[in-house]
Amino acid sequence: MTEPIMRLEHLQRDFDTKRGKITAVHNVSLDIAPGSILCLVGESGSGKTTVARMAGGLLKPTSGDVVFEGHNIAGMSKDEFKAYRQAVQIIHQDPYASLNPIHTIGDTLRAPLLHHKMVSSRRAATLKVAELLELVDLDPPENFITKYPHQLSGGQRQRVSIARALTLNPRMIIADESVSMVDVSTRVSLLNTMLKLRQELGVTFLFITHDLAVVKYFGWEGNIGVMYVGELIEYGPTPQLIGRPVHPYTRALAAAIPEADPDITRGKEKLQLRSLDIPSLVNLPKGCVFHPRCTYFEEGLCDLAMPPLEHIGEGRDVACFVMVRDLKEGKDIFQPTVPERKKDKEGAAA
Amino acid sequence: MVQQQPATQPEDSTRNENAPVILSIENMSVEYKTPSGWMQAVRNVTMDIRAGDAVALIGESGSGKSTLGFALLRMLPRTARISSGTAIYRDRNGKTYDLTEIDDKTFRRMRWREFSMVFQAAQNSLNPVLKVSDTFLETGRAHGMRSRHEIRQKALKLLQMVQLDPDRVYNSFPHELSGGMRQRVSIALALLLDPQLIILDEPTTALDIITQRAIIDVVKNLRDEFDFTMIFISHDLSLAAELADRVATMYAGEVVEYCNVRETFYNPHHPYTVGLLNAVPPIAGTDFTPLTAIPGATPNLLHIPSGCAFHPRCPYATDICVQEDPPLVLLEGTRNHLVACHHHDEVTKDPEVWEKMEVTAEAQTQAIG
Repeated sequence: MTEPIMRLEHLQRDFDTKRGKITAVHNVSLDIAPGSILCLVGESGSGKTTVARMAGGLLKPTSGDVVFEGHNIAGMSKDEFKAYRQAVQIIHQDPYASLNPIHTIGDTLRAPLLHHKMVSSRRAATLKVAELLELVDLDPPENFITKYPHQLSGGQRQRVSIARALTLNPRMIIADESVSMVDVSTRVSLLNTMLKLRQELGVTFLFITHDLAVVKYFGWEGNIGVMYVGELIEYGPTPQLIGRPVHPYTRALAAAIPEADPDITRGKEKLQLRSLDIPSLVNLPKGCVFHPRCTYFEEGLCDLAMPPLEHIGEGRDVACFVMVRDLKEGKDIFQPTVPERKKDKEGAAA
Repeated sequence: MVQQQPATQPEDSTRNENAPVILSIENMSVEYKTPSGWMQAVRNVTMDIRAGDAVALIGESGSGKSTLGFALLRMLPRTARISSGTAIYRDRNGKTYDLTEIDDKTFRRMRWREFSMVFQAAQNSLNPVLKVSDTFLETGRAHGMRSRHEIRQKALKLLQMVQLDPDRVYNSFPHELSGGMRQRVSIALALLLDPQLIILDEPTTALDIITQRAIIDVVKNLRDEFDFTMIFISHDLSLAAELADRVATMYAGEVVEYCNVRETFYNPHHPYTVGLLNAVPPIAGTDFTPLTAIPGATPNLLHIPSGCAFHPRCPYATDICVQEDPPLVLLEGTRNHLVACHHHDEVTKDPEVWEKMEVTAEAQTQAIG
């Protein structure tokens, strides 16, 4: 196996809040292979963004390590850290907030090129900017270079953010909910652009989202980590994990998602959870964090300790006492949760 | 519980096909005043809504779906005006009112009793200094419910129906509740006075998946229990697939397709509807589904393209599309599938048509003002 480009080792992050100390991320370990896609999925408060910020060097872990290309970032010299921050770029959720409104697109993209001496002259910088804009499908570049962010649509602004992330030839991009604020058709074209960049430039992606359907599309060739109130509860290759989720939380999530197909979505089973409410991070339940909501809950098993992430084959891991035990007893835990997609009924009414 | 359409029902009819029309919107246009002139947010919308129907208004940002909803309920900001059209509302006694003309007093009297609205950000629609109980009491009293006891009983029943713990929630302040809980309180409140029509604006947006599912299930149960008509505004096609009987697809201020939900998803005839469907990632199925984006961006409403507003992004566009805005017409062989496209006969769901399309500079840059 190739050496991972990034290793997250037992990451934990605590925050002090008015209502007491919370642990936003608890014991998260993940390896990211070079050129691969890792998607972190979870609802609000799951800790996925906190993991992303630690991986990007924006936030120090309370404990645990971020190891980039074999070097622990906590032990890096100033120059090494700078090189790591150049190699790992972050695309934020909100392109309205992350682009400076008083700079033109050209200025915004030229600045890092000149600052980091990636180019020798302003003229060369402009050429490079045009190249970058074409790369993110803002074509022809002349139409965009002299524009201000407010003159662009949300999708175009997000493309500029991607172009800016690419200015320093990064080896890894962390995209935090980078397509959640745009319309459906724009979202697909942004995802397609990022997939193209991965193909052409071999960039590694850490992709953060709450949307399992987006992950299925973007991360099809990669892996998914599912997070729930700070814990990584399931991990595995995208097709297997989405097709046959094992953790009761992932199953609930997959079953809950409405589908743009009336027959499938109306045929889904009603949501079965013991409680609808996500527990407060200030007062997490004892034992498995999911047990108060879980329909598979077994007293004396699930309410004692948090289950560890265990291998269940096919490169998959799950943190669930019940599922791991059932697997050992030879039961089939890989049941599809969502009805199969029927063939399109095109012209059925005609 | 598996809900399925009865097999005998033709694709193109609804259970409410013979119900009376309770809202008839005709030629409605709404514009916003901007420093660069009047911006056409809703353009000549004509549509009928029948009693008992759940109608979804879908479209991307700038499609005019929210503006249309706000215009019906007089929630437009001061910078907007209804520049043309009527919206005839028929109450349960058969009396009709033009919502664009009635005076404020009549309108206030009808609000909550005849129609109510659930807003996108429920935290903003509940008064933060009032307990949930006070909000229910105030609303009930202002509209003719005299007895405190009666209001309380009704409120507790509704809160129970939206899957909340009635006694706890009734005595809470909004900030003590989560976003999903507040949204469910708003839905319960909207039903307090048994309105005939409820308009929901993006009822599940910005909520977590499991919370979204809970809202969807709640709305389904309520519709089984109470017989209200519902218009909901959403950018999310899957919500329409879940809840709607009929779907109106909007683009650049116009309704471009209006038909039964199964027609929208299985037999769409407007290229924009097809484009949206091809762009939604499915979760079901164990295979990979390639997705195609609609080329270009939504138009700037100050410079709406000539003819059919969708033509710069449309793979079917020809000269006539540049010159003439197609009217909304009945699709041949159907009873109520309306579509506004010169080439609706040729439109298929085949994504290849889109992949072959050359993106014009016009489509790419039309969003730039």
